[in-house]
Amino acid sequence: MEKRAKQSDTGIEKLNSKDATVIDAHNISKTYNPGGIPIRAIKNIHLHLSKGEFVALVGPSGSGKTTLLNMIGGLDQPDSGSILINNTDITRLSQAKLVKFRLHHIGFVFQSYNLIPVLTAQENAEFIMLLQKIKKFKRNERIDMLFQAVGLSDKKNVRPSQLSGGQQQRVAVLRALASKPQFVLADEPTANLDSEAAFNLLDIMLKLNKEEGMTYIFSTHDQRVIDRVKRVIKLVDGEVVSDKITDIL
Amino acid sequence: MTIKIAWRNIWRNKIRSLIIIVSVSSGLLAGMAVISLYEGMMRSRVRTVIETETGHIQIHQKNFLNDRMTEYYIPNPQLISDHLKNDMSVRAFSERTISEGMLSTASGVSGVSIIGILPQNEIIVSGLDQKIKEGFLIPREDINGILIGKKLSQKLKIHLGQKIILTVTDSAGNLTSSAFRLRGIYQSDNALIDEVNVYVSQQSIQAMLTLKNQIHEISVLLKSDEQMDECLRRYKIKFPDLAIDSWKSLSPETNLLVTTVDYYSFIILVILFIAISFGIMNTMMMSVLERRYETGMMMALGMGKYKIMYMIILETIFLSIISIPVIIPMALMTIQYYGEKGIDLSGMGKDMMYSFGFETTIYPVFPIEKLPSLIILLFITAIISSILPTWKSVQNSPIQALRN
Repeated sequence: MEKRAKQSDTGIEKLNSKDATVIDAHNISKTYNPGGIPIRAIKNIHLHLSKGEFVALVGPSGSGKTTLLNMIGGLDQPDSGSILINNTDITRLSQAKLVKFRLHHIGFVFQSYNLIPVLTAQENAEFIMLLQKIKKFKRNERIDMLFQAVGLSDKKNVRPSQLSGGQQQRVAVLRALASKPQFVLADEPTANLDSEAAFNLLDIMLKLNKEEGMTYIFSTHDQRVIDRVKRVIKLVDGEVVSDKITDIL
Repeated sequence: MTIKIAWRNIWRNKIRSLIIIVSVSSGLLAGMAVISLYEGMMRSRVRTVIETETGHIQIHQKNFLNDRMTEYYIPNPQLISDHLKNDMSVRAFSERTISEGMLSTASGVSGVSIIGILPQNEIIVSGLDQKIKEGFLIPREDINGILIGKKLSQKLKIHLGQKIILTVTDSAGNLTSSAFRLRGIYQSDNALIDEVNVYVSQQSIQAMLTLKNQIHEISVLLKSDEQMDECLRRYKIKFPDLAIDSWKSLSPETNLLVTTVDYYSFIILVILFIAISFGIMNTMMMSVLERRYETGMMMALGMGKYKIMYMIILETIFLSIISIPVIIPMALMTIQYYGEKGIDLSGMGKDMMYSFGFETTIYPVFPIEKLPSLIILLFITAIISSILPTWKSVQNSPIQALRN
């Protein structure tokens, strides 16, 4: 495996290798104790993801998809095991470094859009780029391109409350993609969308996956998503029960 | 961007924000009103002291103020008089011959301070003619006329034209009495003065005391208050053997009031702002708790805790100071209006204010130099009010907030 890493200002090493393993989750476990009853959400999972993968984590509700996604995104910590991202164990990072890590490397798409209601669609999409202090002309260039790609150019100055569910989710996806993160972690991104909107959204993500080489990980049980990903990892009761490369492309 | 989000966040619940803005505005108005009333009262009291009681500066023989003995008169008063006449800072001055004595009428007796005056000078220096409520100011040649205060006239039940006997100890130590006719009754803003001070012509009291053109006191009224310290310094150098005092040492109780009024207004402001801060804090707490999911999501996206805290602090500051550009000019205009028209408080306690030496009509004045400190105090209130909501906003980790 050819790997060349460079220390970034966030303390996270950036990946330069084309085929390197960018995410290496090793023997991770997580147990929750709601009401004092321990529930093992994740059981000794090993997971390796390479750059540019388009992966779906599938499984029934409660199988641990979201928990795994959150741990990869540095939102949640495993009880044991390690998660190496670009050779840095993110389970050992401080909260402040995790925030920077998320800011510079991960784009999140949440199930319920989670746009900031007081910002316009464009401001929402720019949110992460603004936190990254990207210059205005670069932001505008990127935002114009993305809004055009998703057909929302005329909705840039509209607040989320004036957008439909599908439009809001598209803006949420734009927010995740705008800063060109290494990884896009999407939790049930199509759960609240009709088929047309869902396909539209997946087309955009596939297009950017091809063009920009971002790694996508979806947590989903939506067959429309599963049919379009390149790799499907199935979880049941917190364990990986299958990991298949699809022949979609 | 944080500023933009914070600004827009305060308008998410307009009614709630407006209620808190109105309460902050009311507090600010009340604070400015308190400061203005206090300032107005104090300035009025100082003017009363200077223009009707002591003048800016008084000159005495060194022992006179401690022991008002007849023999403690000012030596060479003409020298001082000439100096004052040539001093461009002096508006007017009045020479007085003073003696402690006994006032007797058919209905009673009272200890009094008898002040021998030159009426034409007193008109300028102490505005005595303006205080006459009944009768008239004694003319210079009226050697049998006497003026007494309203309070004393009520105490002894004396009426105009009645005969009054004054008894004093003359310069030889002999008791001597003279009869006077009550020509006028005056009323100042100070009940204590009205009960004690009686005025006769300088000629009469000098005759009673067997003093020849001797005086005990020179009261100096300057052209402006700002010249007082400089004149005081000069006179002390020029007349080192005399006691030269400003109104501040002659009326220490007034000086104490003036110097402590800032503390009183500050304490009242702090109490007001503490009450306001609870309102702001409550509003911000509601706002923060309603947005826990949203702040969790922002943290998940990469917005650091400090940025979230900064946003909440900004929201609190905006809520607190948003009304300043409107309320302060409004308050200043209102104060200006009442500063000219005056607020008549006679219905609230005329006698009480009179007994403390205050005028019953207050002309509020807002000292503009206190405006920055008032705004800073409000700013500090906002910061203090934001501590709990800010702390609460970053209590949950992103995952806890998103799960909730």
